[in-house]
Amino acid sequence: MTPRLQPAGGFTGTGLVKRFRRGAETVSALAGVDLRVDPGEFVALVGPSGSGKSTLLALLCGWETADEGELAYLGPLADRRPDAFGWRDLALVPQALGLVADLSLADNVLLPARLSGTLAAEEPRARSLLTAFGVDHLADRYPHQASLGEQQRVAVARALLLRPAVLLADEPTAHQDRGHADRLLDAVTDAAREGSAVLIATHDEIAWGRADRVLSMRDGVVTEGAAS
Amino acid sequence: MSRPPLWRLAPWTRAPWLGLRQPAAVIAVLVTSAILACAVASAQLFLSSARSAALQQQLSQRCDEVARPQTGVQSALVDEQFQPLDGGDGSTRPELDGSLLQAWTDDGLAAEPVLATASIGSSSPRSEPAVIGGPDGFPLSAQVSLFHRPAALEHVEVVDRGEEPGIWVPESVAEQEGLAVGDPLTFNTQTAPVAGVYRDLAVASADDPWWCDYRLLFSNEASANTAPPALLLASDERTFYRLATASWGWATRLQQAPVDAASLSVSDVRRQQDVQQRITAGTGLPLEFDGTGVGIAVPNDRLPDVLERAALIESGLRGPVVPVAVAGALLALVLVAAAGSFWADRRATEVRLLAARGVGPVPLAGKAALELGLPALVGAALGWAASRVLIAGLGPADDLDPSATTTAAWAGVAAFAVGLGAASAVAGLRARGTAERPLGAAPRWPARVPWELALLLGAGWCWLLLQSRDAVVSVAYVAQVNGLLVAFPLLAIAGTAVLLGRLITALLPRLRRWAGRRSPAVFLAVNRLTAARLASATLLVAVTLPVAVLGYTATLTASAQTTLDAKVGVQIGAAAAAATVTRFQVTPALEAAGTYVVRYDGSAEAAGDDGGRTDVQVLAVDPDDFADTAFWDDSFADRSLPELMAALTGPEVDGRLPVVAAGLPAGDPDLRLGSTEVPAEVTATARVLPGRRSDDPVVLVHADRLPEITRNAGAAPAAELWTNGDLGAGIDALTDAGAQNIRVLTPGGVQESANFLGITWTFGYLSALAVFVGVIAVGGLLLYLEARSRSRVSGYVMARRLGLSRGAHLRSLLVELVGVAVAGLLLGALLAAGAVALVYRRLDVDLLRPPTPLLDVPWPAIAGTAVATVAVAGLAALYAQRAADRADPASVLREDA
Repeated sequence: MTPRLQPAGGFTGTGLVKRFRRGAETVSALAGVDLRVDPGEFVALVGPSGSGKSTLLALLCGWETADEGELAYLGPLADRRPDAFGWRDLALVPQALGLVADLSLADNVLLPARLSGTLAAEEPRARSLLTAFGVDHLADRYPHQASLGEQQRVAVARALLLRPAVLLADEPTAHQDRGHADRLLDAVTDAAREGSAVLIATHDEIAWGRADRVLSMRDGVVTEGAAS
Repeated sequence: MSRPPLWRLAPWTRAPWLGLRQPAAVIAVLVTSAILACAVASAQLFLSSARSAALQQQLSQRCDEVARPQTGVQSALVDEQFQPLDGGDGSTRPELDGSLLQAWTDDGLAAEPVLATASIGSSSPRSEPAVIGGPDGFPLSAQVSLFHRPAALEHVEVVDRGEEPGIWVPESVAEQEGLAVGDPLTFNTQTAPVAGVYRDLAVASADDPWWCDYRLLFSNEASANTAPPALLLASDERTFYRLATASWGWATRLQQAPVDAASLSVSDVRRQQDVQQRITAGTGLPLEFDGTGVGIAVPNDRLPDVLERAALIESGLRGPVVPVAVAGALLALVLVAAAGSFWADRRATEVRLLAARGVGPVPLAGKAALELGLPALVGAALGWAASRVLIAGLGPADDLDPSATTTAAWAGVAAFAVGLGAASAVAGLRARGTAERPLGAAPRWPARVPWELALLLGAGWCWLLLQSRDAVVSVAYVAQVNGLLVAFPLLAIAGTAVLLGRLITALLPRLRRWAGRRSPAVFLAVNRLTAARLASATLLVAVTLPVAVLGYTATLTASAQTTLDAKVGVQIGAAAAAATVTRFQVTPALEAAGTYVVRYDGSAEAAGDDGGRTDVQVLAVDPDDFADTAFWDDSFADRSLPELMAALTGPEVDGRLPVVAAGLPAGDPDLRLGSTEVPAEVTATARVLPGRRSDDPVVLVHADRLPEITRNAGAAPAAELWTNGDLGAGIDALTDAGAQNIRVLTPGGVQESANFLGITWTFGYLSALAVFVGVIAVGGLLLYLEARSRSRVSGYVMARRLGLSRGAHLRSLLVELVGVAVAGLLLGALLAAGAVALVYRRLDVDLLRPPTPLLDVPWPAIAGTAVATVAVAGLAALYAQRAADRADPASVLREDA
């Protein structure tokens, strides 16, 4: 097993509630979510569209705050606000990917290293990830010059670059063929094996099988195991 | 089942409302349409404004009466047999005056009777000179004319007065003829007493505007040998007619409609001229004596000249202004087209879907037209209104011809149609192209062709043409800028700016590699610029162009004005001067008022070896105070004026006086003042010396060292007082010293400023264009930011998560936008300097007068432009940062965001 390079950092959520106003109506995106993801664990979050998966991920990475309940990060991440985490602490692959349009695909992957001052050290790993995901030949292209699937692989490579303590991903294989999806899942699994706490929201049933655990989400509530 | 036509489907039927859902695109089209309409409409309005200003400026330099429409009758007061008409005292004068006044009133112009005058003596058209007898029965020795105008006695300085009606005589005539109040004067068969004595108008009332239009009656304006006849004022109309009739004279009665000359437009004047012509024609009187009648009509025949001159100034402007307006409109049209492209970006989701379903560019363009029509219409209307307000507020005059406003409105309509067509076409093509172009495709070939070389070729062609033509031409003494002088630098600046922009952006990939090892702020900024090379190049050119044009026009305008001022300064010698040919002793008051100069006609050995002689102007000056007062520019000589003055006080050279000359070589000039030889040695030379009033060389000599020049030497000495202070005080000092017949030289008198209005306004319009292009650049900058805001905000939100600080992001924006602004400033300044260097020497507004064109760089204006440019870029960066800060990361990074 590859030696751990990152501090372990899982998280727990207890009774998490998030409500939104939609006109005169109040919608509960999260209606008392309880979950725990430990370091080195790969958890798949499944559920229909609109069940609250993206909201939960936004809350976990600090872009949203819970109206009720408690969210706690473990180990070295404890007692820190998630919106203050660095990319080594928490990396994510958002639904819209969030690639910087003005940077080449390679520069997008390397951006976390550049911003953390470890550019030279991380360049070999960035090349390795690009090669592993089959986008190394597109390294100098801009995002809009690549397909959506290629962009998605670059976004995953960027998330994995600094070996984050927590990895969150929203449908990371949604635009992939089976082969590329498997390679992405391999990489995510490896990250968990290296100690990352991994939570991915996915409709991909193959991913469910690769995960250590599966959580189901419906109407803002999380339950253990895949829904029937 | 057949498919319904596209235009009946919801994307088209609901298009006008759908368009409103994209406020950014609506605002972009509205603003750019307004800019286009403003550019198109402004030319006609500007020309109209310039025409009005030229008219008003000319009228402001003339007497009020020149602007007044008038009717009138000039008629003899006796018939062929010298029998009195009008009853001998005007009492039976036809009621024509009343009917003419009524005619003016009917046309909405309240005219007033202003004058009855008669010529007595030599200038009567119908009679022999009459004899005016004095109290002793002998004829007066002075030539006189008789004048009456209501309220004339309220505008004279009374020396003495009686109670009876009669004749008022000038003080000088009273003294000369020994006349006193009550003394009888005889006009052939009629007698009238001297009713009063008034101070000569030339002395006491010359500045009273009431007398302005009659100055020729009392003022020896042309310094003629024979002064005008003495002006006798009749105390009342009856006395006037009685005496003028007895003297077989004639009278002129006028009806003048007062108008405000400062607010007249050409249309106003033409309408008033039409009314004048109609009323005049109604009198049935001829305009010239034809031997058939006793009177002629006297309309105001001076306004057509003023109108013609205003039209001449306007026609001189039309040449440069119209092409410039077209160029500005084309630039604005590019911006409107860019707004169409922006719409396609904003509506990308829907238009891609439509394109994927087979909808072609034409229906997509139609959809764009339907969505953008309303904002384009509103924008065009606002642009027209803005041009109207801007020209009225900032143009040469705020009195615009109604026809120009109508023409401008039609221009606005055309701008709306063309602009909407361009925006829609670009939107349709871009919408379709976005859907069809493969990923990573190279730019299409039109983007790689250096079209700007055509502009440079055009500039070169204009330059070649200019070599064989005058840069400034004078038509009927009105200076006009050759259109080539405007076209050449504009084409050169535009072509070079685009070419440099293309070259610099071609270097961006190298810059990007360099930035790869720099701070995140620099790295992100350079990558943003590199990723959007076309937009970056456009932005760079958009900054470079207005800076270059503004720098060029502001410098040429300032240089032309400085040169003109210098020409006037050289001609006068100082800010103002007073001259007289009478001899007098110099007093302390005179020395305190300025510097005292005596001008002599002289001659010197002509340059060359033909042994001929040339006329020279010799100025005897006081070296102690000459340099303090005389007009000077450092370009006039290689040495300063005090240094030249020091040369005058130097030792004699082989017994010859040291002199300073312009137009003569160093050495012995064989100088003569009239017939008197003055041994002299030119010890210092200048290119130009103050006081030069002809093409002849000028020689300065120390007045105290100049030998006595006798009256009969033929040197025509003239004493002059040059001053930069109060000329009135100088004239008083001259008068107190005993000077007479003082002639003044002021800038207004030396140059008729209307002559150069065309040049000033041409460059003023160009400056306005530059500011306008600057506005376009700001609009383009906002479009640039808005068009890229989505990816910028998305990238920013994610980069923050990746570890980018807010400060670093703001710095990257500043580096990106301020960097482009500074690069544009430097390029613009460079281009402006090059264009000015090529052109300014040819911009000689008056070839006849020295000096040659001077260069005056308006540093404050240029510094202001630089500060404004950097400030706008900085504010744009703050604006972009604020937009990024306000973004909600969760919604930005959702797929459907």
